[in-house]
Amino acid sequence: MTVVVGYVPTPEGEAALTQAITEARKANSTLVLINSSKGEAAVDSRFAQEGDIQDIEQRLAGQGIEYLIKRPVRGHDAAAEVLDAAEEHNADLIVIGLRRRTPVGKLIMGSTSQRILLEADCPVLAVKAGR
Amino acid sequence: MTSLTTGLKGRSELGVALLLGAAGVLVFLDANGLVTPYSKSDPVGPKTVPFIVAGMLVVCAVLLAVNVLRGGKGEAEGGEDVDLTHPADWKTVLPLAGAFILNILLIDWAGWVISGTVLFWGSVLALGSRRYVRDGLISVALSLLTFYGFYLGLGIALPAGLLEGIL
Amino acid sequence: MDVWSSLMDGFATALTPMNFLYAVIGVVLGTAVGVLPGLGPAMTVALLLPVTYALEPTSAFIMFAGIYYGGMYGGSTTSILLNTPGESSSVVTAIEGNKMAKAGRAAQALATAAIGSFVAGTIGTALLAVCAPIVVKFAVSLGAPSYFAIMVLALLAVTAVLGSSRLRGFASLGLGLAIGLVGMDSVTGQRRLTFGQPLLADGLDIVVVAVAIFAVGEALWVAAHLRRTPLHAIPVGQPWMGKSDWKRSWKPWLRGTAFGFPFGALPAGGAEIPTFLSYVTEKRLSKHPEEFGKGAIEGVAGPEAANNAAAAGTLTPMLALGLPTNATAAVMLAAFTSYGIQPGPQLFESQGALVWALIASLFIGNLLLLLINLPLAPMWAKLLQLPRPYLYAGILFFATLGAYSVNLQAFDLVILLVLGALGFMMRRFGLPVLPLILGVILGPRIEGQLRKTLQLSAGDPAGLLSEPIAVGIYVIIGIILLWPFAYKLFRRNRPAHKPLVPANSGAADYSD
Repeated sequence: MTVVVGYVPTPEGEAALTQAITEARKANSTLVLINSSKGEAAVDSRFAQEGDIQDIEQRLAGQGIEYLIKRPVRGHDAAAEVLDAAEEHNADLIVIGLRRRTPVGKLIMGSTSQRILLEADCPVLAVKAGR
Repeated sequence: MTSLTTGLKGRSELGVALLLGAAGVLVFLDANGLVTPYSKSDPVGPKTVPFIVAGMLVVCAVLLAVNVLRGGKGEAEGGEDVDLTHPADWKTVLPLAGAFILNILLIDWAGWVISGTVLFWGSVLALGSRRYVRDGLISVALSLLTFYGFYLGLGIALPAGLLEGIL
Repeated sequence: MDVWSSLMDGFATALTPMNFLYAVIGVVLGTAVGVLPGLGPAMTVALLLPVTYALEPTSAFIMFAGIYYGGMYGGSTTSILLNTPGESSSVVTAIEGNKMAKAGRAAQALATAAIGSFVAGTIGTALLAVCAPIVVKFAVSLGAPSYFAIMVLALLAVTAVLGSSRLRGFASLGLGLAIGLVGMDSVTGQRRLTFGQPLLADGLDIVVVAVAIFAVGEALWVAAHLRRTPLHAIPVGQPWMGKSDWKRSWKPWLRGTAFGFPFGALPAGGAEIPTFLSYVTEKRLSKHPEEFGKGAIEGVAGPEAANNAAAAGTLTPMLALGLPTNATAAVMLAAFTSYGIQPGPQLFESQGALVWALIASLFIGNLLLLLINLPLAPMWAKLLQLPRPYLYAGILFFATLGAYSVNLQAFDLVILLVLGALGFMMRRFGLPVLPLILGVILGPRIEGQLRKTLQLSAGDPAGLLSEPIAVGIYVIIGIILLWPFAYKLFRRNRPAHKPLVPANSGAADYSD
């Protein structure tokens, strides 16, 4: 069993990670964490800092979960990276975080989660950050 | 031939020496071709400085060639966005130059708004952005903004070209 | 007129709403390009040269000066937060600044850099206001032989002292001088290097050359080696300093200023050497030498002050003698030429109002920079999220626009591409670009002075030595040219001695 989680260092990303840990423990499965960047800009706030990743590793190890952390920088967008990983690891579940949006925001943004929802071959669990 | 090519491998810097030497010869020949009578009011004349520059270029060319053959190497320039660990990426540079040339060919005929759009859109694409629609919209907006900005702000009328009458 | 009343008049001009607006635009743009990787003040001023067709000279120079000072401020932000010194003058800032930021003291590092820059910039500008008229008074008495010697000194000093390879520096200078030759000879009307091409008869426009070398060459070069990975940025809050930080900073600020101004004013002094000297001095004098290498605030305060004071220093020979000693000053000088204003000691006489307004605007710009940099540092850091494709495509776009708007002919764009390719090649093979630009700008003026000198002496080469100042300068030139050989001998005798100056004065990579 494998759970793939798309992680970004935001409240939504944290919520997704927390949910993914719960799911992984429930099914005793491997957790694959994807934190990618297109590498286009000098600074990408969605690409986690080294320290954050170490914290996550400790947290996962502390929970006794088998895990794999991938941080691809290949010029692909986040949706493609998550879908790639899901296929490669035969994921049984993908966990992603959703931002709360205004009706207008829904129109313009949200293509990453939308693409994952539409194209994934396995169930997708979408969580929101707690208010 | 093979020994020559292996000897030249990794010595592309010799091309720089060649260019310097060619420039020096060119400056010399050009100055030599000038016909000027000696004039008291201008004893130096228009030839002297070109001769000095030509000499300097040729000397630099020779010294550089010697330096490179002895294993000297120019240090490639670093920078914030420069990653010298990978070799020159011609797949980016050539399309970029292509977009630039396309702009030169189009600017007088099609006008700045069209050629500028082609230039920016092509450059962004060459540099690896894959958001075609958004990039295209930004390109058109930039070209239009600069067209009107130059006309209204600086009083410079960039060519309207094909869109003459519309803009 | 004395300095004080001239300066007050300058303030009156600089504070008119229009000029003040351009000062604000200048400092905002300057800070932005300082923060943005890949863009520097020299390139930005080059890209903005087309505005000289529409703007009043005073407004244009006020804006350019704002960009110049702003670039210095903005550069420190990236050095501290990203450890990527964009300019060689902020290499030293990055050493301690980034360590401080990693230790969670980014706010203090940014604060001491910004306030130190303000202190040094203000003192430096005051020194500029006092020194430049003195230099002018001395310079107007000089004749063509001395000018010729001074310009040769400026060219050779920049070529021989800066950069890691003198040979490559001279190669670059030769190319620049050759480009400067293109066009009609001003004395005889002969066409040189025009190859029968009427479009070349007026020479290559300096705007086109500067944009090609600084913007197109740079954009192509970066594109060939584009970094495709994000860097690790340190999150930043509002810059502030505690009492102990102030106590540890004010002396380094003043000492850095003392190093920076004179070095900036010297031909080829630049900002690299004084920042380095300041760093070494602070390390020696510090009460906390153990903190150096781990994030000592003195190591940020001193060098940052030094590089801003050097910026002010650079403007002294630029305004007083018409001698540019770094890339940005060179491009600003090109702007003078673009307005048909003759740079040189007459400038204070003929364009007094402009010069004093410019100096006054530097004081104003410094204050503005402090105001926009201290509270807004986190906002500036956000600029780093701009995707690189847009940044470099934008540089090419505006380079094309600038070069084309000079004469509205596509031929200039061909020249732009050819010289851009030359700029690319120079970066690839380690040829410094500054000697080339100085050669293009100073070459024709040097030739003019040479011909005037020999005209006065009726063709006798001894005329070159007819002024004592000229003789003195030739001695200095001799020392500069022979220095490396003397230094080698010296080192042979004392091999253990370490060189004071970093071997590579380019933007070294200190990332770990």
